Amino acid sequence: MLVMRRRAGDSILLGETIEIQVLEICGTRVKFGIVAPDSVVIQRKEIKITRDENITAARSVRQQDISSILAKVTPRPAVDATVKGLTNVTV
Amino acid sequence: MPRVQTKCFDELEYSRDAVFEFPTGVPGFEAERSFVFLELPGTHPLMFMQSLSRQDVCFILLPVLAADRDYELHLLEEDLAALRFPAGSQPQIGKDILCAVTVSAADSQRPHPTVDLFAPIVVNLKQKIGIQAVQTQYSAQHPLRSEEEAVAC
Repeated sequence: MLVMRRRAGDSILLGETIEIQVLEICGTRVKFGIVAPDSVVIQRKEIKITRDENITAARSVRQQDISSILAKVTPRPAVDATVKGLTNVTV
Repeated sequence: MPRVQTKCFDELEYSRDAVFEFPTGVPGFEAERSFVFLELPGTHPLMFMQSLSRQDVCFILLPVLAADRDYELHLLEEDLAALRFPAGSQPQIGKDILCAVTVSAADSQRPHPTVDLFAPIVVNLKQKIGIQAVQTQYSAQHPLRSEEEAVAC
């Protein structure tokens, strides 16, 4: 990984068309300004991780897998955080 | 009672109290704004988070404390605002909020089912609003192992 020191107001160029400017540093938070072509997707990394995991999780929901998942879960009534009466389902 | 076509259990009746609005959807499913949380006989403590607009969109959820009894949820100011809690508060799991993690079944890439401790689903039980609240110190693919397996490690 390339490591660079920059101050507020300084910029970094990625190739010819992408500029990342450090706008503001406040305690543990940094504010960036990003200039890039429309074709470049810019996203927070945690959102990409979450999206990928959500898509995998939603795809993996199959009725035949439920018992194998349940086998891995030890019911612990003391930490059961579900809310009684939340759902009242009749099949 | 309204009814919903579910991904795994055909058509089910549900209570309107179990419907939660996700104002921005969840990443990957931004268009899905209404989910019903279903608890079904024989699958406790799992829950099913079924989209009301798309039958094929459903998540298996596990209450976070059943996945990790020491889990510590920390909501950022923007999370609290999205859930309509006052700034500076930390709502209590089980009382103010339901906090649950999505489960992915085992497949060729994962020997165990995994839970996403990185991005738990958090819902305000009173206001019926939900978000996915990123917790960067946790893993998105935490293996779900029975207690016997965990002891063996």
